[in-house]
Amino acid sequence: MKGKTDVPQGTLALMVLRTLDVLGPLHGYAIARRIEQISGGLLAVNQGTLYPVLLKLEQESAVASEWGVSENNRKARYYRLTRGGRGQLRAETEGWEQATAIVARFFAVKAEDLK
Amino acid sequence: MTRLRRFVSRLGAWTRTESDESRLRAEIEEHVTLLTEEHVRAGLSPVEARRQALLTFGGIEATKERYRDQRTFTSVESLIQDVWYALRRLKMAPAFTIATVLTLALGIGATTSIFTLVNAVLLTSLPVSRPDELYRVGRESRCCYVGGYSQDREFSLVSYELYEYLRDHSQGLAELAAFPSGQLLFGVRRAGEADAARSHPGEFVSGNYFSMFGIRPYAGRLLTPEDDTDGAPLAVVISYRAWQQRYGSDPSVVGAIFAFNGRPATVVGVTPPGFFGDTLRAMPPDFFLPLHGEPLVDSDSDLRKHDTHWLQLIGRIRPDATPPAVEASLRVALKQWLRSHWGEMSADDRAKFPEQTLFLAPGGGGITSMREQYGEWLLILWGVTGFVLLIVCSNVAGLMLVRGITRRRQVSMSVALGAGLARVIWQPLIESLLLSLAGGAAGVAIAFGGTRPLLQLAFPALPGFAGLPIDPAPSMAVLLFAFATSLATGLAFGIAPAWMAGRVDPVEALRGSTRATARAGSLPRKALVVAQAALSLLLLSAAGLLTTVVQRLEHQPLGFEPEGRLVVKMNPRLAGYRSDGLPPLYRRIRDSIGAVPGVSGVALCLFSPPGGGWGSFVSLDGRPAQSPRDARTSSWNRVTAGYFDVVGTRIVKGRGISEHDTSASPKVAVVSETFARQFFGAEDPIGRHFGRNPDTSREFEIVGVVEDARYFSGAIGGPAAPIYFLPEAQADYSQTSLGSLFLHDVVIVTRPGVRVTETAVRAAMASADPRLPLTFVSTLRDQVSSQFTQPRLTARLTSLFAVLSLMLVSVGLYGVTAHNAGCRTNEIGVRMALGATRGQVVLLVLRSAVGLAAIGVCVGLPFTFVVARLLSSQLHGTGPYSPLITLAAAVALGCSAFVASLAPAVRASMMAPSAALRAE
Repeated sequence: MKGKTDVPQGTLALMVLRTLDVLGPLHGYAIARRIEQISGGLLAVNQGTLYPVLLKLEQESAVASEWGVSENNRKARYYRLTRGGRGQLRAETEGWEQATAIVARFFAVKAEDLK
Repeated sequence: MTRLRRFVSRLGAWTRTESDESRLRAEIEEHVTLLTEEHVRAGLSPVEARRQALLTFGGIEATKERYRDQRTFTSVESLIQDVWYALRRLKMAPAFTIATVLTLALGIGATTSIFTLVNAVLLTSLPVSRPDELYRVGRESRCCYVGGYSQDREFSLVSYELYEYLRDHSQGLAELAAFPSGQLLFGVRRAGEADAARSHPGEFVSGNYFSMFGIRPYAGRLLTPEDDTDGAPLAVVISYRAWQQRYGSDPSVVGAIFAFNGRPATVVGVTPPGFFGDTLRAMPPDFFLPLHGEPLVDSDSDLRKHDTHWLQLIGRIRPDATPPAVEASLRVALKQWLRSHWGEMSADDRAKFPEQTLFLAPGGGGITSMREQYGEWLLILWGVTGFVLLIVCSNVAGLMLVRGITRRRQVSMSVALGAGLARVIWQPLIESLLLSLAGGAAGVAIAFGGTRPLLQLAFPALPGFAGLPIDPAPSMAVLLFAFATSLATGLAFGIAPAWMAGRVDPVEALRGSTRATARAGSLPRKALVVAQAALSLLLLSAAGLLTTVVQRLEHQPLGFEPEGRLVVKMNPRLAGYRSDGLPPLYRRIRDSIGAVPGVSGVALCLFSPPGGGWGSFVSLDGRPAQSPRDARTSSWNRVTAGYFDVVGTRIVKGRGISEHDTSASPKVAVVSETFARQFFGAEDPIGRHFGRNPDTSREFEIVGVVEDARYFSGAIGGPAAPIYFLPEAQADYSQTSLGSLFLHDVVIVTRPGVRVTETAVRAAMASADPRLPLTFVSTLRDQVSSQFTQPRLTARLTSLFAVLSLMLVSVGLYGVTAHNAGCRTNEIGVRMALGATRGQVVLLVLRSAVGLAAIGVCVGLPFTFVVARLLSSQLHGTGPYSPLITLAAAVALGCSAFVASLAPAVRASMMAPSAALRAE
């Protein structure tokens, strides 16, 4: 568990949306695995925290869920991105990119540029 | 937008709880299973794999908690749960719940009803526009006719000429309206109706009366100054209530012709609902006629008499004027008018001229005769109700305290387990709130249901009584106040024990029995019981005082015999009689009633006791007045022969009025004892003469003295006023406009044991004259009793409340004693084991209980003096403070304390010592 960092719940929602966007409908366990995978094991988040986030997204109508059958023929609840969720994802992505761009400028600034 | 969607979703989520919970469980289970399989595949053992899976997943319960928090508004859910829990707990203690709710309901309901009554009579203003701009002339209300050019203390009644003068010559008044101060009855008959005329109360008003009040008609139009002129066709306005009740809101009434005392008039409109005139009285006017219609309708017209003052004035002040300036201007105008009549003034009037003045008083409340009549008694009621509210609150507090004590252990346990103070207080808070709400709702029901019967009790239904213009709906403000008080009490005393328990070190509380902690908690409770006992003592003494006052009032020597007598009230003027038609009418009445089987005597009079109303000056022959100031006045009555025997007044000296006193024989008079004493001292008044004007001091010869009788109900408890009686046969019927020729009351004495029915009396009166409307037939006893309804009601209500408070105190004492006995079980066991007898144990427990009551009595004793002082000052001459009553009250309190604590005491002594020792 070395070097793992925590992220606020808002970003977790963003990750879920992006995962669903890229990989299509998934069930809860799958989403957790993928997120772990994508973050390269650097994320220190309990898998259980996923479910409240999924509920929140469902309440906001960003995702929709239904019962389905998983790969090993077990009953599982599948989540998929809705059109509203796609829009939300796009908006938040833009917001993130803007924020990172601004912060990057600050990191790039040198003492001489500000004289 | 998303937040809104989320909010809505959370709002409705509680309907899907079951499905959501099971779904979450399934999902989590599935997730953990998959994780476990993964770890198994990685090579761990199943047990180790599961453990790792759970670690990776994180806390399942924590996840579920977070999920639930996200799903719904958990605070609301937990609130609902708490409320259910509180309800269940309350259901488990039915005695406590019912006792508290009932007590609260009683307090709130009774308080609200009484406050509404008091409010309505004492505090409401007229339902007119901007009542605060209205001012009336005269601080005290005076009734009904005053002659001459001087009035004591203030000029509060005016003649029509004076009214016009004041209206035209004063500054600052936008409008000045006039109306009579006395109640008038009209014989009203609708044109085309076959029925005989019925009597209705009515009023003559000036043309600007309605525009001054600023009200608009409900239908048709209201009177205008054009209607109030000489020669204008007679227009009449009917009140909304009369229109609704008597004519069923028939729209054809507007524009119809009605006959008033035989005179035709057109109904032009209906007053708005709720408008009852200018005076709060039991019989508000049904009809309003213009003042200039008075000579047409009333055979004894007062309109043109410039020295007969019969009108009251209410005016609206202009916005730019101040009341003192208007008052000053009115005074100047008054003096000017008086001076213009200097030639007609008597020497007496002239001497009193410098001090003639008038006062302006706020008129928004209307003329306050009812207020003055009932005000004191209602204030007493108000005080009593306040007391009851206090007692009720302390009772609730006591009940709550007990509950808190029983909860103590549980609270300590919760605190030991880590509950915060807020959580600990939350539960009793909810309980108190629920109880207060329930008690409040029940109290509101009592208030709504109880005010009307209370009103009907308070203002007795006289025949012809059409209902009081008081809105019986309880006032919101009062309701809220009472509710808030009980809520505050409930909350304070519900939370306090929990708070105290929460601050105590839990170990202390949990250790051993509840004895030690409970003892500390019973001090406030004991204090409460003492307070209740003191309040109860006060209420009991007040009730005792009031009851004795009422008894004394009702059984005071009346000076006449109320048993076996009937009174018929009639109004010959309403049938259009002129003065010369009266003697035959009186003879016919006496003959026809005398012929009714069972009647042994009948007499007619201007007024029968305990009423009264006519006064005059008295000048004694041989004793001229020292100065104009030394004016002697007396009341007087005009009666037919045999009056004193009929009414049952004893003749002390000489003789009464007899058949021999005719218009041909010398004019005589019979005087009362007070008259004789006041004007003749110790000398024998028989054979002396007196007159009614300073220059006619030999008008009447005194031929008899009768005992003092209770005339003038207004002087209840006061000294008797002098009165003299004149024979009806010797009245001067040539003076056609003399009002005192019209006798109003017929008193009938029946043979003992024989009952004469009202129908027989009515039939006899009808045979004397079928057109004569009778306004009233009742027994003299009823007439006397009705004078005392208000005091009797107050006394009765106070006694009721006193008994109630006694019961509450007993309940409180019972509770405290039972509790204490329970606490001392161990101690009692030890005592009994050491040889104490049953009786000694009983005494032990009783001693503390009765001791509490005794302390309460001692605390309340000084206040009983205060209460007695207050009451006697309010009730004018109820006599000195009676220690006997307070003693009786204290004894009553002690006895009930004894009885209340007997049961727990006996129960404590009945315990087997071994059981007592073992008890915790």
